[in-house]
Amino acid sequence: MKMRISSNFLKSSLVLAASIALFSCNKKDDNNNTGTTPVVTSDIVIVSSNISANTTWSSDKIYQLAGRITVLDGATLTIEPGTIIKGEAGTGANATALLIARGGKLMAEGSETKPIIFTSVADEISIADVAAGSFKSPNLNNTINGLWGGVLICGKAKISASANEVQIEGIPTSDQNGLYGGSNDADNSGTLKYISIRHGGANIGSGNEINGLTLAGVGSATVIENIEIVANQDDGIEFFGGKVSVKNVLVMNNGDDAIDTDQSWSGTLDNFVIITPGDHCFELDGPEGSYSAGHTIKNGTIVAHNSDRTSGDLINTDKNSIVNLENLFFASVKDGQVVNRTTDNPDVNFTNIVINIPSGSIDDYIKDGSAPAGITAGSTSSNKANASVFNGWTFAALDGATSGL
Amino acid sequence: MKYSLFFVLSCLISITAFGNKGIVRGSVIDEDGLPLMSAIVVVKGTTIGTTTDLDGEFTLSVETGTHNLQITCIGYQPLSIEGVNVTEDEVNVLKDLQLKPMSNELEEAVVKAKAVRTNEGALIAMKRRSSTIMDGISSAQMQLVGDGSAIEASKRVTGVSIEDGKYIYVRGLGDRYTKTTLNGIQIPGLDPDKNSLQMDIFPTNLIDNIIASKNFSADLPADFTGGLVNIETKDFPEKKIFKVSLNTAYNPQMNLNSDYLTYEGGGTDFLGIDDGTRALPDGADAQNIPTPISGASKDQVKSFVSSFNPNLSANRATSPLDYGASLTIGNQLQLKGEKKNKLGYIFSLSYKRDYTFYEDVTYSEYQRYKESTKNELRYATIQKGQQGEDMALVGVLGGLAYKTKKSKIRLNVLRLQSGTSKAGIFDIDNDGQAVGQSGYIAKSHNLEYNERSLTNLLLAGDHSIGDGKWKVDWKLSPTWSSSDDPDIRKTAFTYSNLDTSFVAGAGGNPSRIWRYLDEVNMSGKLDVTRDYKLWDRDAKFKVGASHIYKQRDYEILFFDIQFFGNQSWSNPDPSEVLNPENIYPSTTNNIYYQSGNLLLNPNAYSANVNNTAFYVSNEMSPFPKLKTVLGVRAENNVQRYTGSDQAYASGDTVNGTYLDNEKVLDALDFFPSVNLIYAVTDNQNIRFTYGRTIARPSFKELSFAQIIDPLTNRIFNGSLFKYPGWDGKLTETRINNFDLRWEYFMKRSELISVSAFYKTFDQAIELVRIPTQQTSTEFQARNVGDGKVYGLEFEVRKEMGFVSPFLSKLLVMGNLTLVKSQIQMTDLEFNARKNYEKDGENITNTRDMAGQSPYVINAGISYNDPEIGLNTGVFYNVKGRTLYIVGAGLFPDVYTEPFHSVNFSVNKSFGKDRRTSIDLKVENLLNDRLEKFYQAYKADAQIFDSFNPGMTFSLGVSHTFK
Repeated sequence: MKMRISSNFLKSSLVLAASIALFSCNKKDDNNNTGTTPVVTSDIVIVSSNISANTTWSSDKIYQLAGRITVLDGATLTIEPGTIIKGEAGTGANATALLIARGGKLMAEGSETKPIIFTSVADEISIADVAAGSFKSPNLNNTINGLWGGVLICGKAKISASANEVQIEGIPTSDQNGLYGGSNDADNSGTLKYISIRHGGANIGSGNEINGLTLAGVGSATVIENIEIVANQDDGIEFFGGKVSVKNVLVMNNGDDAIDTDQSWSGTLDNFVIITPGDHCFELDGPEGSYSAGHTIKNGTIVAHNSDRTSGDLINTDKNSIVNLENLFFASVKDGQVVNRTTDNPDVNFTNIVINIPSGSIDDYIKDGSAPAGITAGSTSSNKANASVFNGWTFAALDGATSGL
Repeated sequence: MKYSLFFVLSCLISITAFGNKGIVRGSVIDEDGLPLMSAIVVVKGTTIGTTTDLDGEFTLSVETGTHNLQITCIGYQPLSIEGVNVTEDEVNVLKDLQLKPMSNELEEAVVKAKAVRTNEGALIAMKRRSSTIMDGISSAQMQLVGDGSAIEASKRVTGVSIEDGKYIYVRGLGDRYTKTTLNGIQIPGLDPDKNSLQMDIFPTNLIDNIIASKNFSADLPADFTGGLVNIETKDFPEKKIFKVSLNTAYNPQMNLNSDYLTYEGGGTDFLGIDDGTRALPDGADAQNIPTPISGASKDQVKSFVSSFNPNLSANRATSPLDYGASLTIGNQLQLKGEKKNKLGYIFSLSYKRDYTFYEDVTYSEYQRYKESTKNELRYATIQKGQQGEDMALVGVLGGLAYKTKKSKIRLNVLRLQSGTSKAGIFDIDNDGQAVGQSGYIAKSHNLEYNERSLTNLLLAGDHSIGDGKWKVDWKLSPTWSSSDDPDIRKTAFTYSNLDTSFVAGAGGNPSRIWRYLDEVNMSGKLDVTRDYKLWDRDAKFKVGASHIYKQRDYEILFFDIQFFGNQSWSNPDPSEVLNPENIYPSTTNNIYYQSGNLLLNPNAYSANVNNTAFYVSNEMSPFPKLKTVLGVRAENNVQRYTGSDQAYASGDTVNGTYLDNEKVLDALDFFPSVNLIYAVTDNQNIRFTYGRTIARPSFKELSFAQIIDPLTNRIFNGSLFKYPGWDGKLTETRINNFDLRWEYFMKRSELISVSAFYKTFDQAIELVRIPTQQTSTEFQARNVGDGKVYGLEFEVRKEMGFVSPFLSKLLVMGNLTLVKSQIQMTDLEFNARKNYEKDGENITNTRDMAGQSPYVINAGISYNDPEIGLNTGVFYNVKGRTLYIVGAGLFPDVYTEPFHSVNFSVNKSFGKDRRTSIDLKVENLLNDRLEKFYQAYKADAQIFDSFNPGMTFSLGVSHTFK
């Protein structure tokens, strides 16, 4: 009898001992997430708040984007020629970017001798460098991408989407400043001239990253010319509807498509050079909603392959794409790269498209094996970009990437 | 705590020895099934006797042999129990001895002891007389039927359905409207985002009863609508329990399959604990982690990148069989001394290891065409693959209880620890032609680990005061729980016809996520009951108060791999990605980690709830056959939130939002309840009930958190975020419930009932697809509009003896619920739907309510013969097609497809005293799939997610030691 009692006692003690042992398992220590302000030197202005009143950024300072900075409805951000803007490092919610919300304006008029440079904080380029006419990064080469976000412009022009206004990719859905689209095709989001956007494209989730320059529902009164995108992790320029026209564009070494169009963008892209994007040179989609319109892409030179990098499709169009492609010269192509299109789409027109095929016949470079009218093989073409407009001020030209184009 | 432990131990040592005697234990109940206190129990022809305690329980130490007992109590007819056989050192249990109220004849009622053993009296009597509509299962029933775990047992409760093999829901309403409590206290489950407690960890021999209340009364928490399920653990086992069980299970798809997927974990994974293998590397949560551009040296970057676990690959292996074991002990002891106070204890230790493998899992996203002539859906992403899961669960339950005749104090401890490791390989096809999609082909390896723990303490006291007409019950219960997902890894190569690499804009760069959740829950409760006479009939006045404090800390940390320059993969294999030659600084790939975490993390929050409640209720009978219970409960519920949105976190203190312990819910509500029970005859009731209840948003919902599921890339958005058409103010849903029910009780547990119910929902909360986001799949919980639900419920439990005596051991049970639900759409939703209206489609501004199935069927046939120790049954459960995610516009609605669950079980006990038993179960006999579909007007349904759980065969053996 006594034995039984003590064995019960033993069991009870075990219960307690086991329980206590299990309770004592520990968890991760709490993080102490209290903020500290970054050091501000006299030359560097840390920008951490959205811009709600008219603001000017001058070339005697470097503007460091501490987060996703939005020029809000009604405000104008003026950037003086020769100004350097650097995005802090980050990915996901932490990605830095400059976003022009609907109703906001960006007046960024650089010049051939004083381009405006958007880059990463890791880029050691200085005010003195730019003032001295040295526009190349002293430390980052032209393939390093994903160091910060990019530049996004949201406008009020028509888009062809599931709703009249939708959220731009690259901006978390929770930020309503990322909404674009409307009914004013003549909307004016400002002027962008002589701008070089480098090393950006941080992503906020897979399939949802920041293009070098995102033009979402941007209206036709907006002026955009002489733009360079180098080493962006996502697309070079992506158009989401809108009616803005763009000229003199150079896109080099970006991670995804070079030129990507969606939602019935109805402007013109004129005079451009594309150098080895990670995916397609042109990713051209059609309307997604009931509104329908097309665009024109003309006078371009494309390098789809070099010793370091190879692109995806030369041109990629869909069943409902609406686009006129004129005067394009594919200067360097690899066996296996194709024009990927559907034959049953009468709204995609090719005029003077010349592909410098390395071997075989032109049909080998067309997805379904038969070249449509307007696409021919050739080692040279006079119908192409005037690359000289990029000389002197672009990273690409200064690196020699445009020589011979 | 220390003091009471000492006290308990000293009591244990002073226990009396029993000698050549045996023990008779029993409980006495009244006509309502409630314990009868101070009844006198004597052994006829001896001077041995005792009185019942506050639980109506008694213990007698009697010479071996056969005895007759007599129970008397003032106002009740005496009861004689004949043929009570007492053997040495054995406990003879006589449960639920029911005394009938004194009638004119002073005749003594007589029952045979043998008949008492198969009595299910208390619960049935309670059901019949209960002031709420309830159903349940008692320990007596569970013992008879031989159910192994609470989940098995709850299958027998009508109106209850089981999901995931561990959660129980009442009346087909989803988790938002069901609640589980343990010993009357709300405790968070192992899954803190669910209202329900997982039930598969409670061995039945430690459960006193499981009761599902299907309507509200003032003494219950107001935040349930479908049902409240309470599990009551035993405090004083009637006899010694010392039981060991072993079990194993085999599923042809999941076990002994050489294709099973797993990944290298840590040394203590088998205990459900990560040993640090998946811990966040030192310094990774700092503002600036070492990167090529952070100013860190090359060596610092290399050593930092190398400090992450290099394993990114899912591997094939052969999965073992599932297995589990449990040990259960318990007993009660009579303490030395005149007062014969009792000490009870229970303890259980259980262990489970389950292997799950889905050979063909599909997740996909579909869209509608804009054209009004195109009804079909088109895909945006289809992701197909295989997924393995390895779950380990350790459960410890312990309880000590001390009882005098009029008071009872108990201390319960529950500790659960579980770890689930998941590995999957998926092929992803994204269609660039779909809206917002870039188009790519990728193959991903997904590794996840979820570690959960729960520790619950309960200190409770029941006191009977004065003449026994006053009762005071109190409970204090803290719970600590956590759910962490350390090192979720996703590695997806993007394939093109020319090369294979990581493409940020396509399959994405390799990423890792750490998630931490900690919750503390403190509950305190006091109930005072006074029995009295009103209009010469029994009446009961109840008053009580409770306070619940809950606090949660949550944080997500995110990292992705970046390449400093070009990538080149000669062998695109996830297991080689983090090889030293690829880590910065190197000649190829130059991998480094970039942090997605702001110093002030918008994906971190701290939130708390203070819920204070008071209630009064009075139960009375204005007419002999009409019982009325009128009550009102007041709950003051305040939820506070500390955290910031992304704008604030990234430095925009002007336009961003930071809430510093600010109120996000603040409401004082009164919840009246009316219960009228008209006893048509002794065994027939007509009930009418009205109650007002509430469904409150959860911590997760009322937050600024954005929680991505890396497997599907689906993102849950906290409801504090504003969107076009959504103001960011998620509020409670207030519900009016009306029930009219006729019920007919037959012998034993037989029952037939028919109910009609009607509910109105003010601002129902539903999960909504965010319409403005087209690239990623994002959801948010929102108040969507007012809803109503009406329906009919039929319930039957009938032994088949009336067909033929041969079938008397066959029990047929089932319930059928038919429901019509309706939500009034918001203008936003209505316009979005109109915008995508197809030719011939006629969209109105009402639709089904999310989470409410149009029908629920629970049915079962069981055969139970206690004489030969055999119990077997087949159970069927299905819920009709239920709206899961509210679509609108481009995005179709998502519906949960009916899952026809048919399970078979047989249990046979053997040997002298039937101490050994074997049970065999077959789950999912119809081999049905678990599926959700995108659905739209005249379009073929397309998969949202689809799993094949397959058929599982399990075998268990248990032995109860003497």
